[in-house]
Amino acid sequence: MGLHGSEKNTEDKRIWTSRSIGSYIQHQFFYALIRIGGRRLAYFFLYFILAYYVLMRPSVRRRCYFYLSHRFPGESSLKRIAHGYRLYLNFGMVLIDRAIIGILGNEMMSVSFNQRESLKNLVSEGKGVIFLMAHAGCWQVALSALGYLKTRVNMVIRREEGDIDRHYFEHQSNDTPFNIIDPEGYLGGTIEMINALKNGEIVSIMGDRIFGSLKNTVHVDFMGEKALFPFSAFKVASATGSPIALLFTHKNGADHFVLDLAKVIHVPEGLGRSGEGYLPYVIEFVKILEGYAETHPFQFFNFYDMWRPSP
Amino acid sequence: MTINMEELKEIIIKELFLEDITPGDIDDNAPLFGGGLGLDSLDAVELVVIIQKHFNVEIKDMDEGRVAFESIKSLASFIEEHQKS
Repeated sequence: MGLHGSEKNTEDKRIWTSRSIGSYIQHQFFYALIRIGGRRLAYFFLYFILAYYVLMRPSVRRRCYFYLSHRFPGESSLKRIAHGYRLYLNFGMVLIDRAIIGILGNEMMSVSFNQRESLKNLVSEGKGVIFLMAHAGCWQVALSALGYLKTRVNMVIRREEGDIDRHYFEHQSNDTPFNIIDPEGYLGGTIEMINALKNGEIVSIMGDRIFGSLKNTVHVDFMGEKALFPFSAFKVASATGSPIALLFTHKNGADHFVLDLAKVIHVPEGLGRSGEGYLPYVIEFVKILEGYAETHPFQFFNFYDMWRPSP
Repeated sequence: MTINMEELKEIIIKELFLEDITPGDIDDNAPLFGGGLGLDSLDAVELVVIIQKHFNVEIKDMDEGRVAFESIKSLASFIEEHQKS
């Protein structure tokens, strides 16, 4: 994230989009399948629909090749298509899973988390906690399993015009369980983030996405090449004294996810304005993310060019 | 308590590590973000913390932020006003 609301210029365009490849009707179709036949029926149709997209739409294939060409360098075109299909299939399943939670309830999906007490202790320190996550596994499933913390969660997420897939809580008629902070709002939502942390709350940020300007990013080696990562979360942590909890999820069964508190990072204050001071902490995050992609290659869901050269 | 704008500028320059800028370079009425001083949203993170640390004044939400961060002059007025209350 870059946390910028009004600093865009032609050099600093966001390099990813959250827009779905599916149409509104297709999403509604899957929501209906979930209501009628649950997960199995929705998964069944997913196999065929994704086969069409991967085979017939080169633009869809292209979106996953940025990652796959780094994760599996030198593989044949045929293999890459197979890997692309597998990656999209897992992604589709995760989207269905999160819709299942929203439509049929949390109990439809189980989450193992062995570090419940560690995370609870971190939250109870009262300094606020930054959950630094990534588009890997299903972060929404992770958050749905953290209700035991009894602490307000503030999610820094951007809803783009044209977004048609719903977050799991958007299927429910009751109020959202989270406070949403728009990273492209006034001053990137930073004032809201700081005040939430000051109140001992949780602020959840994606560490692998850039909003707005590229100014607050650093280049870090990622799968053999320099990739752009934001250092914003680390700067917020430095200014507020809040610890950063690196949280990752992976799916290891049809209805089961594993949540992992991979690391807790404490960022000292006074690291300056440039990204240099924050680089070691970003590297820690990126190393863990790289390890995740090694272990769960088809649960890493960034469909944009993270490795594009700096502007 | 009246806020000395030169001191406020010095605090901001020092705490935000603004290189090659002196208090004299900062126009009292220029916007702090976007133009003027050229601060960005991540500097706002530091600025909110700095204002609390040095003046014990909280900027509680975006509406207050909009008023306070309009310029150095408005930031000084915001601090004065909130120190009184």
